[in-house]
Amino acid sequence: MHFELNYQQTWLHLLHPVLKFIIVLVLFIAILFIHNPTILLYLLIGFGVLYIGWTGHSLKLISLLSIPFFIIFVSSATSMMFFGEGNTTWYQFGLIHITEESFYRGLHLGFRGILFGLLGLLFALTTRPVLLFYSSMQSLKLNPKYAYAFMAAINLLPIMVSEFQNLRNALKVRGVTYDRGVKGFYQRIQRFSIPLLAQSIRRAHRTAIAMEAKQFSNDRTYYYQVSYSLKDLYFITLIVTIIVFSIWLSTIYPVFPVDNVRMD
Amino acid sequence: MLEIEKLRVIFPDRKNFIFKDLSLSIPSGQKVLIVGPSGSGKSTLLQILAGLIPSVIEVPLKADRLQVDSNYGMVFQDPDSQFCMPYVDEEIAFVLENRQVPSREMKEKIQRILARVDLQLEDIHTPINQLSGGMKQRLAIACALALQPDVLFLDEPTALLDAEGTKQVWDTIKSIQDEQTIVIIEHKIEFVSDIVDRVIMLDDQGELVADGSPTRVFQDHKQMFDQFGIWHPSSWSDYLVSRTPQHKGNDRTAHTLIELDSASGYYHKNREILVDKAVINKGDWIAITGPNGSGKSTLVQMIMQLINTKGSIHYFFAEQNLPIYQKIAFVFQNPELQFVTNSVYQELAFSLTSKDTDKKAKIKEHLKRYRLEQVNDHHPYQLSVGQKRRLSVATATIKVDDIIILDEPTFGQDAINTFMMLDCLEELRQKGITIVMVTHDQQIVDHFATKEWKIDQGQLVEEKYHDLFQSEKVGVSSHAL
Repeated sequence: MHFELNYQQTWLHLLHPVLKFIIVLVLFIAILFIHNPTILLYLLIGFGVLYIGWTGHSLKLISLLSIPFFIIFVSSATSMMFFGEGNTTWYQFGLIHITEESFYRGLHLGFRGILFGLLGLLFALTTRPVLLFYSSMQSLKLNPKYAYAFMAAINLLPIMVSEFQNLRNALKVRGVTYDRGVKGFYQRIQRFSIPLLAQSIRRAHRTAIAMEAKQFSNDRTYYYQVSYSLKDLYFITLIVTIIVFSIWLSTIYPVFPVDNVRMD
Repeated sequence: MLEIEKLRVIFPDRKNFIFKDLSLSIPSGQKVLIVGPSGSGKSTLLQILAGLIPSVIEVPLKADRLQVDSNYGMVFQDPDSQFCMPYVDEEIAFVLENRQVPSREMKEKIQRILARVDLQLEDIHTPINQLSGGMKQRLAIACALALQPDVLFLDEPTALLDAEGTKQVWDTIKSIQDEQTIVIIEHKIEFVSDIVDRVIMLDDQGELVADGSPTRVFQDHKQMFDQFGIWHPSSWSDYLVSRTPQHKGNDRTAHTLIELDSASGYYHKNREILVDKAVINKGDWIAITGPNGSGKSTLVQMIMQLINTKGSIHYFFAEQNLPIYQKIAFVFQNPELQFVTNSVYQELAFSLTSKDTDKKAKIKEHLKRYRLEQVNDHHPYQLSVGQKRRLSVATATIKVDDIIILDEPTFGQDAINTFMMLDCLEELRQKGITIVMVTHDQQIVDHFATKEWKIDQGQLVEEKYHDLFQSEKVGVSSHAL
C-alpha cells in the first residue's frame, strides 16, 4: 500500500526550498502587522490564484485541503463578530452583540487565518521534504544527523498507516468494542497507541542500526546540489508585486469602510 | 581477518551470559554460515563482528582480543526498516554520500551498482515501496556493495521473503561474491550450502558446538539441526516420515460453510479480487497460493467482510447476532497486533463472552492444547515467536469452532515451530474444523491441503483438489547435499 500523491511539477517545485521557507515565514510575520482587512482580501485573492493554479495538484485535492481553513474562517470570524466589543451596535440578542467594529475585526481575523493556511499549503504542496532537508544542510548548515533523522522518520509514516489499518482489523476480529463519547475515544487511544508505538520504536531502532551500518557520517557529499536560480528571483518579484498591488488597490478600491481594525 | 578471543557478553536484563568465553577466527576471504536456534545470539555475534556492538549498540562486553573490520557492509532481515530514504537512487546515494563520493560521479555509480545486483528498473528514481520484497533485499545488497566492503554480513536476508524472492536474493549473492569475506546467518540452509565453505553452529546457550566444512557439519550434526529447528533439505521428508499418514478425505458431499458467487473485494473503489464461483466445505483445508501482490490476503479479507464487497457471499453458520468477522476465527500475519490484554490467560478469557459457560475449564484446555501453560501469566509480547503464533491461534479457536482462516502463519518460522503449527492445525481439522490458509509453502499445499486455490492478478484462476494420502508423496523433497 502506498500513498503517493500524483502531481504535475510546476515552477514552484523548482524553487530553492530554504529560500521558499524563509519567504513564507517572513510573510507569516508580516501579515500579523497588517490591520487593514481590504489589503488582506486582495492578498488572499493573489495567493489564492497561485494556490489554485500553480501547485500542480489536482483540483479535487486542493479543494479538499481547503475545507479545514474555511471552517477556521467561519468559526474564528463569527466568534469575533458575535462577542466582540464596539461602539456602533448593529444587532443585539442576549449574549450576541454584533457591532460594526467587531464585524470587521472578525472578518479580518478570518482572512488572516485562511491566508496562513493558504501559504502553509502552498509551501507544503510544492516542496519535497528530502529536498528541504538537503538544502537546509547545505545553506543553513543543519547538522546531517538531525536532517537524516527527520527523513528516516518521514519514511516510517506510510508503514505506520498500513500498520494502523491492520491493527484496526485485528481489533475488530477480536471483538474489541468501545464505549460511546469521550470515554470511547480514550479507550481507542489506549488500544491503538501501545502496539503502534511498540512497533515503531523497534522499527526506528532497526533503521538507526542500518544507517550506522551504512557508515553514516557527518562529513559528506550531497547527491542533490540545491542551488538558486532565476526562478527564485521571479518568485520574490511575484510576491512583492502581489503585496504592492494589494496595498495600492486597497487605497483606490477600499472594499471595507475601515482601514484599521485595532481598538483605539 | 576477524578474530574474537574469550568473548563474554551479557544483556543487562538477563541473568545468563549470551556468550561465555567464545573464541572464533575468520580468515579473510572465507565464506561462513552461522546457524543455531533462535535466541542463540547469532545476530548479536554478527553485530559484534561488525563492530556495531559496542560502538553503536551499547552492550556490556569483555574480550581478551577483539579484531573487527570497520570496512563492512550489512544486509538485515526486515526489508521495510533498513532504508532511510524514499527512492532507490536516493538510498544508494546516501551510502555514497557517507563515503564522500563526489556528487557528479554518483548517478553513474548508482546505475553500475544496480546492474551488479541485477535490479533492472526503468528509472533509478523509483519509490522503494513499489518494489517487491526480493527487490528490496537486492537493493539492500546494492547498498552494502556501494560501501566496497571487505566483509559482507548477511543477517537472515530472506527470512521474510517468498520462494521467488529468496531465490533471487541468493542468486544475486552467488553472482557478486569474489574476494570479500562473507558471514551469513540463515535458517534455510538449502540455498546457502553451495556458497559457504565453513559452517559454525551455536547452541541455545551461545556455545560453539560445531565448526567445519558444510558437508562435514551437516553429516555429523544432523540431529542437532532438527533439534534447533534449522531448515535443511531433508527437514520435510524426515518430518513426514515421522507422522502417521492420514487420509485427507476430500468429502465433496460435505456440508457447505461459505459459498462465493461472482464476489469481488474493493480497496478505495478499486476492485482488487474477483472470485467467480467457489465453495468452502466443512472439513476442507484450503491453501490459497499465488505470487506476491496477487490478492491472496485481499481474498481472505473479503471472506472476512473486512473490506467492501460486491456480489454474493453466503455464510451457512449457526445464527448468531455477530458480524461475520467475529464468526470466523482469523489469524493475522503479525500475531502481536491481535493481542489486547496483559497476560496469556486474560488473552484467552477476552475471547469468551459472558454467555460462555465453563470459562475456566475452556481456557485451561486451550492452554494445554497449545502448550502455553507454563507462560499463562506472561505478557503476550514477552513470548517467543512460536508461542506468540500459538497464542494467536488459540485466541481465535477458543471462540469459533467452525472455521479458521490464517494469513501465512508459517512465514519466517523455523522448522520446529512450523511443524508444531501444522500438527496443531491438522488436529483441529480432524475434529471437523475447516482451515483456510494463505501460504507460499508448496510442501504444505502438497501434504496438508485438500484443495488449492490459485490466485493470479486479483482473480481465482484455478481450483485444484489434492486427494492423495500424505504417505504417497513422502520423499519428494529429499535430495542429497
